[in-house]
Amino acid sequence: MLWEDDVKDDQTKGPVIGRRGLIMGASSLGATGLVSGKLGMPYIGNAAAAEPIKIGMIWAKTGTIVDQSEYLAQGSLLALEQRNNMLLGRPAEIVWLDEPNPQGAQQNAERLVGEHKVVGIVGGALSSFALAISAVAKKAKIPYIAANAATGDLTGKSCNKYTFRLQPPVDVHARVLAPYCADIGKKWYLLTAAYAFGQDIKRAFSEYAAANGCTLVGADEVPVGTPDYSSFILKIRAAKPDVVIGGIAASDLTTFLKQWNELGMRGRIPFAEISVGNTDLWGVGPEAADGLYTLTWYYKNPNNPPEEQAMAADYEKKYKRPAADKTWMGWMGMKNLLDAIERANSTEPAKIVEALEAWSVKRGDIDFGYRAFDHQMVSRLLVASIKPKITDKWDYFDVKAELPATPSGVARAFGNQAESICKMDSL
Amino acid sequence: MLDMILSQAVNGLVLGFLYVLIAVGLSIIFGLLGIVNFAHGAFFAIGAYLALVLNREFGWWAALLAPLLTGALGVLVEIVLIRRLYGKEPLLGLILTFALALLFESVLRMIFGGAPLPFAAPRFLSGFVEYGPILITKYRMFVLAVTVAALIGFWAFLTYTPFGRIIRAGSRDAEMVGLLGINLPVVFSFVFGIGCLLAGLAGMLAAPLWTVNPTMAAGAIMPAFVIVTIGGLGSYAGAIIAGLLVGLTTAMTIQFQPEWSGAAMYVLMAAILLVRPRGLFGEKWERFE
Repeated sequence: MLWEDDVKDDQTKGPVIGRRGLIMGASSLGATGLVSGKLGMPYIGNAAAAEPIKIGMIWAKTGTIVDQSEYLAQGSLLALEQRNNMLLGRPAEIVWLDEPNPQGAQQNAERLVGEHKVVGIVGGALSSFALAISAVAKKAKIPYIAANAATGDLTGKSCNKYTFRLQPPVDVHARVLAPYCADIGKKWYLLTAAYAFGQDIKRAFSEYAAANGCTLVGADEVPVGTPDYSSFILKIRAAKPDVVIGGIAASDLTTFLKQWNELGMRGRIPFAEISVGNTDLWGVGPEAADGLYTLTWYYKNPNNPPEEQAMAADYEKKYKRPAADKTWMGWMGMKNLLDAIERANSTEPAKIVEALEAWSVKRGDIDFGYRAFDHQMVSRLLVASIKPKITDKWDYFDVKAELPATPSGVARAFGNQAESICKMDSL
Repeated sequence: MLDMILSQAVNGLVLGFLYVLIAVGLSIIFGLLGIVNFAHGAFFAIGAYLALVLNREFGWWAALLAPLLTGALGVLVEIVLIRRLYGKEPLLGLILTFALALLFESVLRMIFGGAPLPFAAPRFLSGFVEYGPILITKYRMFVLAVTVAALIGFWAFLTYTPFGRIIRAGSRDAEMVGLLGINLPVVFSFVFGIGCLLAGLAGMLAAPLWTVNPTMAAGAIMPAFVIVTIGGLGSYAGAIIAGLLVGLTTAMTIQFQPEWSGAAMYVLMAAILLVRPRGLFGEKWERFE
């Protein structure tokens, strides 16, 4: 920080911003934001009972994950629109704030609670953001649904009574995809992002490799937002692995796959990754798309329940494009929270948490709901590969299987209470 | 291992040329107009999106118009906004161009959505060539050739043409050049347009390699600022040398310590600035003292 006293000597050299000016400027900006925020969301009511119920939503408006966030946010907004923006017989509105980085996510979660008085929060597009929001949820005792983050910590060592997680954690994805990778070959190369999500993938696949006779011929951690992967790809090429296992997300994955194809690696060494978003592949284009993946949801899966098919139809009607997996995650996370508020018949945090713990629907032969002991949603995953020839600009995947196949397999993949490191606190 | 180092070195230099192309427009605008153009990355993104649209509607050759259109937009921005800043507080330029960067990103998001859009290199540039351990794709060779041609062309224009001499003289002493009866506002519009044209050219060339989304400017602007700082603010030759150094350093760091690759260029910048605070080729310019 530049203090006024420090810069006085430099004043002959040009204009400087003094401390007072900086504070006044920041105050003005803050006041402007406050006023425009109020003006931007008018609600005219004449009784306390008609005050809108506010739901907090934190999806990135900037940064590398913004590609996915657009769909996450649209899904979340759709969930409330499908209820005609009403909750408990009162108007309801979503307050959407940005998550430019973990610190920003934390500050905006605090703003949602302190300034906007929201009754619950949905969001956290990246694992690091979700962990930051989760810490606020715990401290402020506000229900929070992490709909996209996959790091194990959220429902593991950092679990808490107010945080619920929709996306299966990295370990579950890895248990589903790793056998497919082992079938391709025993020499693996790991290319993972240098933050919680990527590090979890590195650990999970390294453990599987060690336990199942596979060898790691290379493992690189990649900084978020890397614009050029050619040097990483040259290393992979020299290491000659049987399969490359990725752990890079969103636009980073898009960039990697474009350059993977450009350097002639597509079709030469198989590429696999867990928990990718449809948008990541749509941005790659049909000429360069490649790989074997786990998906949380796919709009063309014939096993989607009628309610989800209706959501996909509503979304396509409104946005003139198919619902992405992230649409579903944003929609389902918000729907869970809204359902819980209705079921609790209250906006009291403790009652919403209890309702979320009790929220469950039958999906095929498993109970689709949050486990009480770690607040992890239990669901199946899709294993899908890129179609050999893509003719529809939205339909990139051939779904190979919905796994684990049996309820006992699902239970094993998610692990039980004895295996969990979550030490759940109380309300 | 020697093979791998050689392979990475060549790859790093090719990557460096792409960085040079991004940075040189920024360097020209600062060196000749004294404006730190925070919106440079936005012009890079606009170049990529224009190329994408022209390619989709009319084919790949039409995409070559994208840099020209980006340059024309730059001229318009200079006439409407930037020229009001000459001789004013440098802070105003920073604020205005930063606001422009945010505005352009929002406009791109409004028109094209936030999701990435596919854009592939033309078929005749797909594939790669191998010389022993060295692998270079045809498309990167094309980028290299275009960059070198653009750099030589602009250098020759500045050095050997009367208009180039006016630009250089105007950047040193605008008042004197104006007193000689030369219409400097037109010259400055042209310079800003050229800087934006180079950003648009870099965006067009990067589009088949990078993710085309509204935030792609962020991936371009930081290396560009680092390169301009290392090379010396406003130095044409400095931007070229610094771009190649950054490409080489990044590639070597990926080979030996990949998790540090994101920080490598900043460490390089810090090390060079410690030894030479003006950057490698930074000059003492009276107008900036």
